[in-house]
Amino acid sequence: MPADQPLVVISKSGSKRWVSAADTAARKLGLKLGMPASKAQAIVANLKMIDADPAADAAALERLALWALRQYSPVVAVDGADGIVMDTEGADHLQGGEGLLISGLVNGLRGRGLTARAAVADTWGAAHAITRMTSAETTVVPVGGVAKAVTGLPIHCLRLVPDTIHGLRVMGVETVGELSAMPRAPLTLRYGPEVGRRLDQIFGRMAEPIEPLRTPELVEAVKNFQEPIGAAETIAKYVRRLVGELTSKLETRGLGVRRSDLVIHRVDNTRQCVRAGLAKPVRDPARLSKLLCDRIEKIDPGFGIERLVLVALIVEPLEERQVASSLIEEMVVDVTPLVDILGNRGQRLYRVTPVASDVPERSVMRIGPTADETGLTWAAKWPRPSRLLANPERIDVTALLPDQPPAVFTWRGKRRRVKRADGPERIFGEWWVRPREYAAVRDYFVVEDEAGERYWVYRAGDGVDTDTGSHLWFLHGVFG
Amino acid sequence: MRYAELQVTTHFSFLRGASSSEELFATAAALGIDAVGVVDRNSLAGIVRAWEAAKTTGVRLVVGCRLDLSDGMSVLVYPTDRPAYSRLTRLLSLGKSRGGKGKCILDVSDVEAYSGGLIAILIPAEADETTAAQLRKLAAIFADRAYVSLCLRRRPNDRLRLHNLSNLAARHKVKTVITNDVLFHDPSRRQLQDIVTCIRNRTTIDSVGFDRERHADRFLKAPEEMHRLFSEYPEALARTREIVDRCRFDMSELQYQYPEEALVPGLDAQQSLTKFAWEGAATRYPEGIPDKVRKAILHELELIRVMKYAPYFLTVYSIVRFARSQGILCQGRGSAANSAVCYCLGITSINPETGDLLFERFVSMERDEPPDIDVDFEHARREEVIQWIYETYGRSRSALCSTVTRYRAKGALRDVGKALGLPEDLITQLSSGVWGWSEGVGEKQLKENNMNTADYRLKLALDLSSQLMGAPRHLGQHPGGFVLTQDRLDDLVPIEPASMKDRQVVEWDKDDIEALKFMKVDVLALGMLTCMAKSFELLRDYKDIPMGLSDVEQEDPATYAMIRKADTLGTFQIESRAQMAMLPRLKPRTFYDLVVQVAIVRPGPIQGDMVHPYLRRREGKEKVEYPTPELEAVLGKTLGVPLFQESAMKVAMTCAGFTAGEADQLRRAMATFKFTGGVSKFKDKLVEGMVKNGYTREFAEKTFTQLEGFGSYGFPESHAASFALIAYASSWVKCHHPDVFCASLLNSQPMGFYSVAQIVQDARNHGVEVRPVCVNRSRWDGTMERIGNSDRFAVRLGMRVVRGLSTNDAARIILARAEQPFASADDMWRRSGVSPSSLVKLAEADAFLPSLQLERRQALWDIKALRDEPLELWAAAAEREAKVIAEMQEPEVALKSMTEGREVVEDYSHTGLTLRAHPVSFLRQDLNKKGIVTCAEAMGQRDGKWLWTAGLVLVRQRPGSAKGVMFLTLEDESGIVNAVVWPSLFERQRRILMTASMMAINGRIQREGEVVHLVAQRLFDFSADLSSVGNRDGDFPLPHGRGDQVKHGGPPDPRDNPKPVVQAREIYIPDLHIDNLKIKSRNFH
Repeated sequence: MPADQPLVVISKSGSKRWVSAADTAARKLGLKLGMPASKAQAIVANLKMIDADPAADAAALERLALWALRQYSPVVAVDGADGIVMDTEGADHLQGGEGLLISGLVNGLRGRGLTARAAVADTWGAAHAITRMTSAETTVVPVGGVAKAVTGLPIHCLRLVPDTIHGLRVMGVETVGELSAMPRAPLTLRYGPEVGRRLDQIFGRMAEPIEPLRTPELVEAVKNFQEPIGAAETIAKYVRRLVGELTSKLETRGLGVRRSDLVIHRVDNTRQCVRAGLAKPVRDPARLSKLLCDRIEKIDPGFGIERLVLVALIVEPLEERQVASSLIEEMVVDVTPLVDILGNRGQRLYRVTPVASDVPERSVMRIGPTADETGLTWAAKWPRPSRLLANPERIDVTALLPDQPPAVFTWRGKRRRVKRADGPERIFGEWWVRPREYAAVRDYFVVEDEAGERYWVYRAGDGVDTDTGSHLWFLHGVFG
Repeated sequence: MRYAELQVTTHFSFLRGASSSEELFATAAALGIDAVGVVDRNSLAGIVRAWEAAKTTGVRLVVGCRLDLSDGMSVLVYPTDRPAYSRLTRLLSLGKSRGGKGKCILDVSDVEAYSGGLIAILIPAEADETTAAQLRKLAAIFADRAYVSLCLRRRPNDRLRLHNLSNLAARHKVKTVITNDVLFHDPSRRQLQDIVTCIRNRTTIDSVGFDRERHADRFLKAPEEMHRLFSEYPEALARTREIVDRCRFDMSELQYQYPEEALVPGLDAQQSLTKFAWEGAATRYPEGIPDKVRKAILHELELIRVMKYAPYFLTVYSIVRFARSQGILCQGRGSAANSAVCYCLGITSINPETGDLLFERFVSMERDEPPDIDVDFEHARREEVIQWIYETYGRSRSALCSTVTRYRAKGALRDVGKALGLPEDLITQLSSGVWGWSEGVGEKQLKENNMNTADYRLKLALDLSSQLMGAPRHLGQHPGGFVLTQDRLDDLVPIEPASMKDRQVVEWDKDDIEALKFMKVDVLALGMLTCMAKSFELLRDYKDIPMGLSDVEQEDPATYAMIRKADTLGTFQIESRAQMAMLPRLKPRTFYDLVVQVAIVRPGPIQGDMVHPYLRRREGKEKVEYPTPELEAVLGKTLGVPLFQESAMKVAMTCAGFTAGEADQLRRAMATFKFTGGVSKFKDKLVEGMVKNGYTREFAEKTFTQLEGFGSYGFPESHAASFALIAYASSWVKCHHPDVFCASLLNSQPMGFYSVAQIVQDARNHGVEVRPVCVNRSRWDGTMERIGNSDRFAVRLGMRVVRGLSTNDAARIILARAEQPFASADDMWRRSGVSPSSLVKLAEADAFLPSLQLERRQALWDIKALRDEPLELWAAAAEREAKVIAEMQEPEVALKSMTEGREVVEDYSHTGLTLRAHPVSFLRQDLNKKGIVTCAEAMGQRDGKWLWTAGLVLVRQRPGSAKGVMFLTLEDESGIVNAVVWPSLFERQRRILMTASMMAINGRIQREGEVVHLVAQRLFDFSADLSSVGNRDGDFPLPHGRGDQVKHGGPPDPRDNPKPVVQAREIYIPDLHIDNLKIKSRNFH
C-alpha cells in the first residue's frame, strides 16, 4: 500500500458505518472521526478503508502491555482502549531515570512502527490526561507539579461519561482548572459524585491503585522419573495421576480444559507431544485420561521417558451444575465425549444443516458438531436424491422442449431409457449472488430408468429463453 | 383458443405484486387473453386503475378480490352482479374495521354471511385432509358457485398434485378451474418481486430464505401455452370463460347518489337551490341584482337542473354555511369561482358582475362529470369542519379519499438498497445527491461518490430501484377530499379506518373517484386563511379595529406600492422567488394585475411563451394589436395574450365558433394531447373555424400553438382571482400592520415559504420590535405588547417557537403565573408542576433572561439542581409562607458567559431564530480579508460587475419551468442576494449546492430594471466557517423554510408523472411539516 494513500478504519453497527480512526493523510483531507463511511469515500477519491476489529485491537494492546511488563515495570495495566499505564516507582533508575525511560519507550515503539506519547506524573489521572491532550511526545511532570500541569487541559481528559462532559461544557466549563475551582457540593448535586472522584484522582487527593497485568499462568502437572519409564501401562498409570493432579488444580480455579498437551521428555533429550482437544470445557479425570491414554500407542518411548508434563493450554470457566433427577427433567444425552474421542483420533467432525436456498448445492451447510441449531428443519415435502454429485455431470439427452422430461439419456457411457419421470421442478439462480445467476434457470426432473434406478437430472435453462441457460442436460444426483 | 386469467395480483396488493394494471392489461391484450380477473389481497384499491386499463386495452376486467381468512384458507371471490359487489365491499369494510389500519381480519363465517352472488375459487395447498375440509365448507356456502383452482407451481409432483386435487374436487362436487396466480406481467420482473417481498418482510435478500415466492412462472402466459400446459383438464380451462360469463358486474354500474342536504321542507333539491341562490343574490346585491348576474344565475340554474347537480351545490353550501356560523374563514377556489350561483351561495368571492366568468369552465353538458368545488378553510380549524361532516353525514355515508403513496427515486433507492443489504450510510450518501422527486440515481452518482461502479449489488440496487419507482407503497389519507353519499358508502367501496383517530378513508384515491364520477368535496386547509383570521383577531383585540376579510380596503395604493417593490415576504402566493422576481417587472397597480401576476408565474404561460409578450406589451415595448374587434373583446384585459384557461376557451368560442362545451373539451384535450394525440380533430376545427371567420391560416395556426402550451398548467382565471383576493388581503395587512402580520404568521406556522427566522428578520426590517420568549410574559402564541404609552406595538414571541415544548406544559406555566410572576426557576418548577426537562427547553431557548435576568447557562444550572419531586415538608412550608423557601443554601457559582456567537447558535438551535446579531456578522472580518462583499453591497453593484459574496443558504429552488436553472437565496447581516445557478454549474458543483449551509459565490451581477441577480460562476463551501461561529463541533443549526426544495423536497412536480387522465387540479400544496432540525451531538476526538 502506498504510504501517501489516506487510510481510515471503519466501524460498523447494524447497517451504520462510520469512520472510527483516520491516519494523518486522511485527517489532512478533512476526514473526521464519526463521519459516515460513504461521505468519507465521497470526499476522498482513493481512500483506503479498513474494517475495525476491536477485539484484535484489544488483544494487540494487551500484548504490548505484556511487553512493557517484561521491559519496564512489574506494575502494568491496560488503560482504556488506547493506552497503557504503569507504575515506574522504583523501576525508572534501571533505565536511567524517568525521562530516559519514557523516551526510550517511545523510541522503542517507533522502531516497531507505532506512534506513541508518554508522560510521567504523580497520578494516573494526570498522566492519562497529559498523554491524550498534549502534543508533546514525552512529558515528565515533576513531583508535586500535577496541579500546574493539568489545570489548562480540557475536561474531557477526566475519564467522565460523555453526558457529564456535555453537561459541563453547556455550562461553559472547559478546563480542569475551571472545574476544580467550582464549589464541590453544587457540582455533586447536579452531576453526581463521579466528577469529584475524578478530580481528586487527578490531583492525587485520592489513591487510584493500578490493577497490574500478569503473564497468564499455565496450569500444569509435572512428574519426573528417577528411573526412565517406557511401558505403556506405566505411562498410562502416570498419565492418570497427572490428570488427577491437573483436574484438582483446575477445580480450585473453577476452570475446565479445552485443550491439553502431554509433553514427554525422553532421556535422549528429545520431546514428544500428545494433544487432546475437547468440544466443551471439561475437568472430568476419567474423560481426560481416556482421551490421553487412547493415544499412548502413538508414543515412542525410545530409551525411556524421564519426565512427563501435562499442561492445560486452553482453559475456560466451568461451573459445577446440579444434575436434576431424570424424574423431573428429561436427560439430555451429552454426545460431546464421543465427539472428543472421534475428533482426537484425527477425524474431521461436522454436522450438516439445511439452508434456506432452493439451489441444491447451497441447500446444505456444514457446521461444527456442537454448534447451536440454526432453526431450520429439513423439509421432507419434496424428494431430494440421497446422493448429490459434487459437480453435475453432463449427459446426452433426447427430450422435447419446452418442459418434457428426457426420453433417453446417456450417463457415463451407458444409455438409459426413461420409463417414468416427474418434473420439471423449476429452480431459479440466486440472482443477487452473482451476475451469472441473474436469469439462470434449471429444470429438474426425477427420472426412472428401465432398471428402476432413479436419477435427478436437470436442463440448464427453461426450454424457451436461451438467456436462462445453455439448454444442456446434467445429472445431479442419484436416488437410493 | 380462449382463456381468461382469473388470478392476477397487481402492485395494489402493496409490496406483493410487481406490475401495474396498465402493464398487466397491455400484456394480456398482446397475448390474446380475453379477460383478466384482478384479485388483490383483501382489497379493491387497484380495481379502478384496472378498470381504466381494461377500457383502454379492450381486455375485459373481472372484478375480484383475494380473501386471506384468519383460519388459513384463501379464496378468490368475484361478484356476479351489483348487489354481490356491495356485499363484497361491505365484507371488506367489516374486515378492515376489525383489523385496523392496513389490516383485514375475516373468517369463514363472515364470508358465509356475505356470500350471496359471489363466485368463489379456493386456493388449495396440497390434496390433503385440510383441503378436503375447505372444499366441504366452500361447497356448503357457495353451492354451484364454488370452484377450486388448479395451478401449476413448477414444483415436484405437480402433475400428481393436480390429479389428486381434481379427484378431490370431484368427490366434493366442486368444479375445478385453471388459474395461473400471476404476480407480474413479464418474466423479467421476477427479481423485483423478490425485492418487494423483502421490503414487505423487512428483511434482506440474503436472509429472506423461503419467504420468497417459491412457486415459479408467475407471469402472464398466452392462451395457447395455458392450453398446452393443462391439456388434461379441458373442462377446467373452459370454466375460466364460464366464470367470466357469470360475472356480469361492471364498474360502470356503480350508480352514485348525491346526499340530500339542506332541503327546504316541501321543496326538492333544485327548488331549494333556486331559493337559496336568489336569496343569496339579494344579500350580495342589496341595491338590486344586476342584469348580467341575473342572466348568469338563470343560465346556471338551468344547466344545474339538466345535469341534476343541485344536491351537490347544496352539500357544499351547507358545509360553508356551517363554517361561517362557527366563524371559520373559508373561500372557494378553482373553477367554481366561475359560477354566479356559487358566489350567491357564499362559496366563492369573485363577483360575477365585474368579472367575465365562464360557467362552462366549471360545469358543461359535454363533460359529463360532476363539478369540483374546492373550498379552503383556515388550516388550524379545518378539523372542526371535518368532524362536523362526519357527524352530519354519519360514518356510513362519509369518508375521506385515500392518497396512494408511490415510490419516488429516493424512497425506492432506500428500500431496494436496504433489501439488498447495502449499508445505510451508502444509501444516504447516494440519495443526498438526488435532486427532487423524479431524478433517477445512476452511474454518475456512483462516480461522484467514488463508489465502485462495477459492484454488482450497487448495480442491482440502481437497476431495481428504477423499476420500483412509481409502484404504490401504501394508502394514505387525502388531506381533505370527502366522498359523501345518500346511501351507505360501503356499498360502493370498502372503507377502512385511518391511522388518525375518528377518521375513515375509502380505498380509492381522487383519480379513482373522478374516474367513477363520484362526488367529492375538497375541504382543504389553507395556512394563509388561518393567518388572516389570526390577524383580524389581533387587530380587534389590540388595535381595536374590528374587520373581516371582506372589509379589507380595496385598491389601496400603498399596498400596491409595496407589492411592486417585491416586498412580499410572507404574503400569499406572491412570496416565492419566481413571483418576487416578476413583481417589479409586472408592476401591479390594480387587482386585475394581481390576478395576472398569480397566474403568469406558472409552467403553462411560461411554456406557452406568453410571459415575455405580455411583459413587453405591458411595458409598452410592443404594440398591442388585435386582428379583429371580437378578439379585442376577449383578450383586451390581458393585452392580447391568452393567460388563462378561460381565454383559450373564449378564443375558440368567438373566433372559431365553438360552443362553450366544445371549448371546454378543447381545453381538456389540450391538457392531455401529449399523451393521447386526441387534439388533432380540435385543431382542424379551430383552424378551419378561424379561417372561416376571416382570420389568416397563419394566424390561426399560431393561435393554436400558443394555446397548446398551457391546457393543464395554466390557471383558470377564476382560480387566480380567488387566490389574488387572499394575496391582496395578506399584502394589505403586511403593509399597514406589519407587527400584526408578523405575529399572526408566526402563530400560523408551519406555512408558507419562509422560516420563522426570515419572517422575524423581515418584520424587524420593517421597524417592528420583536421581543424574545419570556417565561413570565410569553403565551403559547405570539402576542402584541404596547410599547410604553405609545400606540405602537411590539411582538412578543410565543412559547411555540421553543423547540420541543409541549402545548400542555406551556398552558400549565401560563396558568401558574397568572396571579404572580415567577421569581426563579425553582419557583416556576414548584408552582407550575412542569417537569425539569421542559424547563430545560425553555432555558435553552433563553426564556429566563428577559424577566429573571438569568442567562441561558445560569438558568440551566439552576434547573439542573431540581429533582423529580419537591420535598413535601418544604412545599408545605412554602405554601404557608406563600413564598419560595429554598431547600438548601448553595454557594454561588459564577458561570462564564457564552460568547455572542455561541448565543446566536444556541438561539438558532432551540428557537430557530435569533434576535441577536446575524451569524455571518461574526465572520465578517475574515470575509473582508478574503475580499468578499456583503449581500447588500453586491445587490447594489452595476450590471456586469464581477464579485464575491457569501451568506447563509436560505432557499434553493429549481422550478420545473426554469429548465434546470437553480435559484439560490443567500443571506447575511446586510440583506439577501438572489443568485442564479445554470445547469452546467449545478452539475459541476452539485454537492456544495445540495449540502452547504453557507457558501460563497463568485459571479457576475445582472441587472434588469429593478431585478438584480448574481449569476454564479463558482461556489465555495463555507459551512465549516459557519460551524466555527458557535465555537462548537457539529453543523450550524440553520433552519430552512418550506421554500427550500433540498430540505423539503417541494411538492411533486406534476410533469414527472404523465397521466392520460385530466388532472382536476394541480395547485394544491400539501401541508408539509418542517422537519425537526437534527443537531449532531458533540463528539470529542
